[in-house]
Amino acid sequence: MRRLVAALVAAVVVVGGCAPGAWTPQSTRWIIATTNFSETNLVAQMYLQALEAAGIEAEIKQLSNREVILPALEAGQVQITPEYLGSFTEFLNKRENGTDAPQIATGDTAATYAQALPLAKAVNVALLEPSPAQDQNAFAVPAQFAREHNLTTISDLAAYSQSAPITLGGPPECPQRPFCLPGLEGTYGASVKEFVPLDAGGPLTIQALRQGRVNVALVFSSSGSVAGNDLVVLTDDKGLQTAENLTPAVYLPAATPPVRQALDAVSAVLTTEALQEMNRDVEVLRKNPRRVAEDFLRANGVIPPAQ
Amino acid sequence: MDPGGDLMNVWQWFTDPANWSGPNGIPVRTAQHLFISASAMLIAMAIALPIGLYLGHRRVGTVIAQNVGNIGRAVPTLAVLIILASITIIGVGDLAAILALALFAIPPLLTNTFAGLADVDDEVRGAAEGMGLSGMQVLRRVELPLAIPLIAAGIRTATVQVVATASLAAVVGSGGLGRYVVDGFALQDGTLIVAGALLTAAISLAAEGVMALVQRGVTPRGLRSLSTTDQPMMDAPKVAS
Repeated sequence: MRRLVAALVAAVVVVGGCAPGAWTPQSTRWIIATTNFSETNLVAQMYLQALEAAGIEAEIKQLSNREVILPALEAGQVQITPEYLGSFTEFLNKRENGTDAPQIATGDTAATYAQALPLAKAVNVALLEPSPAQDQNAFAVPAQFAREHNLTTISDLAAYSQSAPITLGGPPECPQRPFCLPGLEGTYGASVKEFVPLDAGGPLTIQALRQGRVNVALVFSSSGSVAGNDLVVLTDDKGLQTAENLTPAVYLPAATPPVRQALDAVSAVLTTEALQEMNRDVEVLRKNPRRVAEDFLRANGVIPPAQ
Repeated sequence: MDPGGDLMNVWQWFTDPANWSGPNGIPVRTAQHLFISASAMLIAMAIALPIGLYLGHRRVGTVIAQNVGNIGRAVPTLAVLIILASITIIGVGDLAAILALALFAIPPLLTNTFAGLADVDDEVRGAAEGMGLSGMQVLRRVELPLAIPLIAAGIRTATVQVVATASLAAVVGSGGLGRYVVDGFALQDGTLIVAGALLTAAISLAAEGVMALVQRGVTPRGLRSLSTTDQPMMDAPKVAS
């Protein structure tokens, strides 16, 4: 029932911008579907501009979420969407193998990608090469704290915490979620003396890190607030978090060589650090995402320099 | 959704001994709630009562005293809380919550204190002055006893508001009973949300009951029959002369 509703919603949204009849690579404009999430809109802008530079007409349609976008993608009502590798893999896994299916996404990008490919193909979706840019759950510490105690990985932090137990900040659900407090204590053996419930990598978390209320906090690795606040994201050296590389998902018949080439060119230059900067530009400095994407692609030679 | 089942879950939550001990147990969260509320009230009273007494005694600043009350009621406490928490020297935690709640409590205290004094009958004051009492003596022996019912009503109103609103402290990483509600939303745990809401309602009603007794206790005997109802602000009992 939910899937039917989602498909209907997607159909209604899409009909407005799409000529009736079956979609073929030659016939019409390509539709890039995005969620209502600023980062995917930014990446969709990059896909759009790279496609246009390759002479392929396209447009962006904002749909609500994965539950709505995937059915539309399967049916070819939309053709391209930026996805997060691990979450997408688990979404397909749970849909194909039931909600109790064991997790197949891991911290290893290549392994997760290999697991995801056949699942995606089964629903008519080509998953292109994952970009190095990841938006995953991550633990951040103030840069000064990292320098003082020589911390670059979460294992370093766990070792440090043996002599000086740490204070952790995160969303209120953190103590119950395997990727958060239990993972820090279980997988890494860190000694946490206090947990402070804040928000999911939002302003309270950043504030608590800056004022020293917490030593370490859960953030999103590509978050713009990490870039501007002198924070360091610690490397997840034991693969606690699933790999969440930004990866283009394309309706299988639409994944023609020119399309693959254009989208691969974007993925090749997109790094987590670049994404942090651009998210900061869009979310904090309120720059136009279209311009931010354009400047980035020009600077990296994906689209030709401005005349 | 089965409402009966949900109520059973809430009952089980309350009867689970695990929820009555430890740093997230009901006693600790209640103590945090009361600490935050009491701190806010002390700060607010230290600011609002002297100002209200002064302005009311001198009968100046009517516009200020009344409008502070009205403006204060329009200030969104949650927004103030977030703004305070994002100021670096205050930051997330108890302090931001206490300051935001203190700001929230000042308007009813100030308005009621001012009104209590300003509404003392001019003939009563005149008589006191005519007997040769100094300004300070008039305040202490005549105006204050007559104003006490209204001042106490202001304290009672402010206390109940603060105790009920102290749940917001959990939003900025502080403790208190609001922790259950905020955590419940984060965990999508309806039982926890309802349990937290019930506890907050219960502690607010308890605060109302205690403060009603206090109000009665501090009211001079001769005025008690006039002050049994919670008078609305600015509507002081007229003292028969």
